[in-house]
Amino acid sequence: MKLQGLNKSFGANHVLQDIDLELPERATTVIVGPSGSGKSTLLRSLNLLERPESGLYQLADLQIDFSKKIPAKQVLDVRKKTGMVFQDYNLFPHKSVLQNVIEGPVQVLKRDKNEATKEAYELLAKVGLKEKADFYPDQLSGGQAQRVAIARSLAMHPEYILLDEPTSALDPELEGEVLKVLADLANEKQSLIIVTHNLFFARQIATKIVFVEDGRIIFDGPTKDFFNEQQKNTRIHDFISSMTFTDIDEGTVNN
Amino acid sequence: MWDIITSSLPQILAAGIKFTIPLALISFAIGLALALITALVRISHRGGAFSIIKGIFRFYVWLFRSTPLLVQLFIVYFGLPYLRIPGVLENGIKFSPFIAGIITFSLNTGAYASETIRASISSVPNGQWEAASSIGMTRGQTLRRIVLPQAFRISVPPLANSFISLVKDTSLAASITIVEMFEVSQQIAAQNYQPLIMYTLVAVVYAVFCSILTFGQGYLEKKTNQHLDQTEG
Ligand SMILES: Nc1ncnc2c1ncn2[C@@H]1O[C@H](COP(=O)(O)OP(=O)(O)OP(=O)(O)O)[C@@H](O)[C@H]1O
Ligand SMILES: [Mg+2]
Repeated sequence: MKLQGLNKSFGANHVLQDIDLELPERATTVIVGPSGSGKSTLLRSLNLLERPESGLYQLADLQIDFSKKIPAKQVLDVRKKTGMVFQDYNLFPHKSVLQNVIEGPVQVLKRDKNEATKEAYELLAKVGLKEKADFYPDQLSGGQAQRVAIARSLAMHPEYILLDEPTSALDPELEGEVLKVLADLANEKQSLIIVTHNLFFARQIATKIVFVEDGRIIFDGPTKDFFNEQQKNTRIHDFISSMTFTDIDEGTVNN
Repeated sequence: MWDIITSSLPQILAAGIKFTIPLALISFAIGLALALITALVRISHRGGAFSIIKGIFRFYVWLFRSTPLLVQLFIVYFGLPYLRIPGVLENGIKFSPFIAGIITFSLNTGAYASETIRASISSVPNGQWEAASSIGMTRGQTLRRIVLPQAFRISVPPLANSFISLVKDTSLAASITIVEMFEVSQQIAAQNYQPLIMYTLVAVVYAVFCSILTFGQGYLEKKTNQHLDQTEG
């Protein structure tokens, strides 16, 4: 996955400015940065929920030029290859957990319903929610809902899963169960791109870190380097020290 | 007094079964279909020649919401027979009273209900559209499978209100010679000189009909509202 010269504005607000970025496969990329810096916009562009005005986007064998109209077929291809997990889950409230998970495979990938159901149970088992298959979203805790959302996205067999602050809406005691699922996926070499404010988690899980500020990429490199860079780079230093995680300096790097 | 009631109630109920209920049911069914089409056309993103169709539907909704129902009934039943376009339409458009009633009530209900449905569709959180498109569902699939089922639940109470209003509004059909319940009670009152009893009696019958509907609404709401809660608010 590769971006070149990406630009996106909302009116006069130039939110993403000449973004060049490579997002490696089978790795975990964590995007960090201050609020309003453009992280969500960047992530959503990868799933085409946002349409930048210019830039090139390469995803496996797909080539997209944002300055041209993107054909519906290509939009669909990009969406099949990129799963999206939202901060507030966005489960379909009128469908059961199982129906949420098989909706995409059956309706979009046109898979056989029995097969999709069988696989859905496996995915639910993987996120620890097999026994909740017949529950409805309003019967789940936030942590459970987010794990269902992850299973829903896995069911499409995407090449990348994009997660926008997946634990920000959760109480700290529920955050752990979602982070554990993500850590498992990272270990299985599922390609993940995670926007998070949790630097402690980033440090544990990320293969590489992308630091965005004011719509520009300030740092893009291995996780270790990011945390080492803070002595030299005042912007990274200021950002890290503005975060509440006092234990970052003592935390161990698992990469 | 009891005599008056027992002798006239059967006639009023018969008129209810023959005209009031069919008028309300048929008009509501057609009106709902019309409302759904109108709402879908109006929220469509399509432009070009399609914006002319959108304009027509917008005009229709405006027209029926900003004129009195009684006047609409009069135009369709008494007015249209005089519509003459030389060379095209020489003899006007004539409907039987019942058909004129159905047409007017359907169009009127359709105009109001389309706004209800449109509002319900837009009150489904944007995150639902995003979640559906992010897994590759088309706009049509998203509407049909994700948004409309949720919008339907949201629109049950206001639509039930429209239906209850419609049941009562069918009394206006008396003015275009349909012998529905109110017309029957007027006719009996003219014979027995008991307007207070007759109009109170017909009012009670309308109230019973509407209470049954309110009860049905409660049931439908309870059934459809299961699991509507947005976990994310
Ligand atoms: N749909 C939109 N319309 C207009 N402006 C928008 C829209 N979405 C985002 N913006 C603006 O774009 C900028 C970047 O927003 P974005 O959501 O990408 O930031 P973020 O880094 O994800 O912030 P946070 O950490 O608070 O989630 C902000 O100034 C925001 O106000
Ligand atoms: Mg954001």
